[in-house]
Amino acid sequence: MINRRHFLTTVAVGTASAGVLAACGTGSSTSGQTGSAENPVTINYTWWGNDDRAERTRKAIALFESKNPDIKVNGNFTDFAGYWQKRATEAAGGGLPDVMQWDLSYLRDYGQRNQLLDLSTVKINTDAFEKSLLPSGQIKGKTYGIPTSTNAFAVYYDPAKLASLGIAEPDGTWTYKEFNDFLTEVGSKSNGALFGGTDYTGVWWMFNVWLRQNNIEAFTSEGKLGFTKDDLKKWWNLTAGLRGTPAIVSEERVTQLAPKSPFGSNVTATEVTWDNFMAGYLGDSGAKELKLVPVPSDDPDNLGLFLKPSMLMVASAKTKFKDAAARFIDFMVNDPEVGQIFKTSRGVPASKTQRDGTTFEGTDKIVVDYETSISQYLKDAPEPPIVGFGTLESSFKRIASDLNYGKLDINGATDAWFKEAEDLIKQNA
Amino acid sequence: MTSSPTLSRRSTTSGPAPLRKSRQGGADARAGYTFLLPWLLGFIALTVGPMISSLYLSFTNYNLFEPPKWIGLDNYTTLFQDERFLQSVGVTVGYVVFGTPLKLAAALAVAMLLNSKRRGQGFYRSAFYAPSLIGASVSIAIVWKAMFGDNGPVDQGLSIFGINLGGWVGNPAMTMPMFILLTVWQFGAPMVIFLAGLKQIPNELYEAASMDGAGPVRKFFNITWPMLSPVIFFNLLMETIHAFQIFASAFIISNGEGGPAGSTLFYTLYLYLRGFSDFRMGYASAMAWLLVIVVGIITLIFFRTSKSWVHYSGDSK
Repeated sequence: MINRRHFLTTVAVGTASAGVLAACGTGSSTSGQTGSAENPVTINYTWWGNDDRAERTRKAIALFESKNPDIKVNGNFTDFAGYWQKRATEAAGGGLPDVMQWDLSYLRDYGQRNQLLDLSTVKINTDAFEKSLLPSGQIKGKTYGIPTSTNAFAVYYDPAKLASLGIAEPDGTWTYKEFNDFLTEVGSKSNGALFGGTDYTGVWWMFNVWLRQNNIEAFTSEGKLGFTKDDLKKWWNLTAGLRGTPAIVSEERVTQLAPKSPFGSNVTATEVTWDNFMAGYLGDSGAKELKLVPVPSDDPDNLGLFLKPSMLMVASAKTKFKDAAARFIDFMVNDPEVGQIFKTSRGVPASKTQRDGTTFEGTDKIVVDYETSISQYLKDAPEPPIVGFGTLESSFKRIASDLNYGKLDINGATDAWFKEAEDLIKQNA
Repeated sequence: MTSSPTLSRRSTTSGPAPLRKSRQGGADARAGYTFLLPWLLGFIALTVGPMISSLYLSFTNYNLFEPPKWIGLDNYTTLFQDERFLQSVGVTVGYVVFGTPLKLAAALAVAMLLNSKRRGQGFYRSAFYAPSLIGASVSIAIVWKAMFGDNGPVDQGLSIFGINLGGWVGNPAMTMPMFILLTVWQFGAPMVIFLAGLKQIPNELYEAASMDGAGPVRKFFNITWPMLSPVIFFNLLMETIHAFQIFASAFIISNGEGGPAGSTLFYTLYLYLRGFSDFRMGYASAMAWLLVIVVGIITLIFFRTSKSWVHYSGDSK
């Protein structure tokens, strides 16, 4: 029988002991910044990705733990979309994991709001990194993220599909007009069975590349838009003559194929996107071989290309194990054996030590070779985009899709996007 | 819930009631509340609490990271200048206005067919009820998406009759009919309630009407409809409220984006996007409260107008 007094006593004792335990927890961890082999500290690490990445990450963690017996790493992962909802709720509750895989689009959202650790205050070796790459992890003199790897924009094509249509393989030196003509040729020679490509003007990052080809910044350092409505209209006008023709795949098809891409579904001959999507496209399409060439540019000396960190490593501002977190990040970005584990599945390793320690074959080699081939054209990586960039990027895609559906004309689409962007910038100011 | 006011009234009654009885009543009330406690705690912690805090948040600018900033009615006023919001209202109202009556009509029609005594009635009832058990599930939304895609069964089936619409999923003009079909197909729950209602109608009424020479149409409008009106009212109310809350199927079929061209941007989907993709929790809370208020008003209107067409047994009307 539980009587009232007994019950209350139990509850009181329980509550008190929980409080004591909690106090012990914080007490031991603040004093225990570093662990020892007998008494290791445990840090939490979280990433997004599929099972393949999970397997590779587990191998990397096991290797890290064997080399650092004083640290245990507790790993956890989700898919990309759910990842950011989870981080948002954790940040609201003050409980972000110690170390996290991060995306450039969200660096400002969390960095500027003091959720991320300034990594220049801890020991991480960045000697083997391209100096032009590091600023993309920095905001106002603070280093919030270290790039693990890089990706660059490229045009993918399937040589077998072009050969079957009797079309010569492109060499990647093309103007926008030549690229458009190429897309049209694919569409007309295949009689509409194969589209030239997707409407590349709907891709934010390709717009960003085009802006850089025209020496325009996408965002100013004050976090405002660096381009005008006229720039955006010019951009969306580039493919005005192709919409609704077999040169580009209809938006109806794109919607139905989602979440798979038209290129991965063998509906188009080309795709303009990041070069580290190679493995995914090969898997989806079943193609024997896919090749990469540079994006079009009207100025042959300025391709507007840059290496972007395909992902970054960050630490929570509230982590109690700064030293352990720093050692884990250093290991993940620099260790040659980690490079050997991930190959190009995270992108091309950013650290030279890691890159040189990795053997690239087959598909991995195509991606690495592409980034080497464009190295003379590369400009500094862009600064981390503005707060709320993730929203802007998706509204760019959505409004470009409305344009393709004919729901909006170019003027209407431009006004709609600017209204959303200005509203968002005002909101986050 | 219904018993607690009685209990508390009795327990606080003083004066004429004998002392003993009142004490007895107090013990009853205590026992009542004790049994209610688990539910009451859950209700307060999981429903009332969050509702109050979301009411507060709806007057603030809250991005989950920084403390909420009080901005008064700004969220509510900006709502009406937000084209995406207005679009989501249009999409949802269209869905409620067309989907709900069609669903109820299908439910009533099938219930009347299943009301006669034939062999295998149990089987048919279960078969027609099944879709509403699984209809809200993720897998059905995925199946639906595949069925209405390019060269899917629906596209191919219609092609046989020379109708070439292509896939419905990617066509902004066809997504709404697709969603309405999805909800109509789940008519099982209101159907079961209609069936129970139909069983309550005394057979003598139909027999008497037959004697007087009334046909099936006349019998339906003069007997079935008025006798069933409380059940129709209940189903209409529940299904309307339910339709306003459509989320899961829209989220899955449009990959959480409300496309193509915003044609599936249902109210709750936009609310979710604002809150969890754009981190504008204050804005999303304002949307949630507006929905609560609007659904409340619609319910009130239903109750007010019900007096003229809903007949309860024992009514003198």
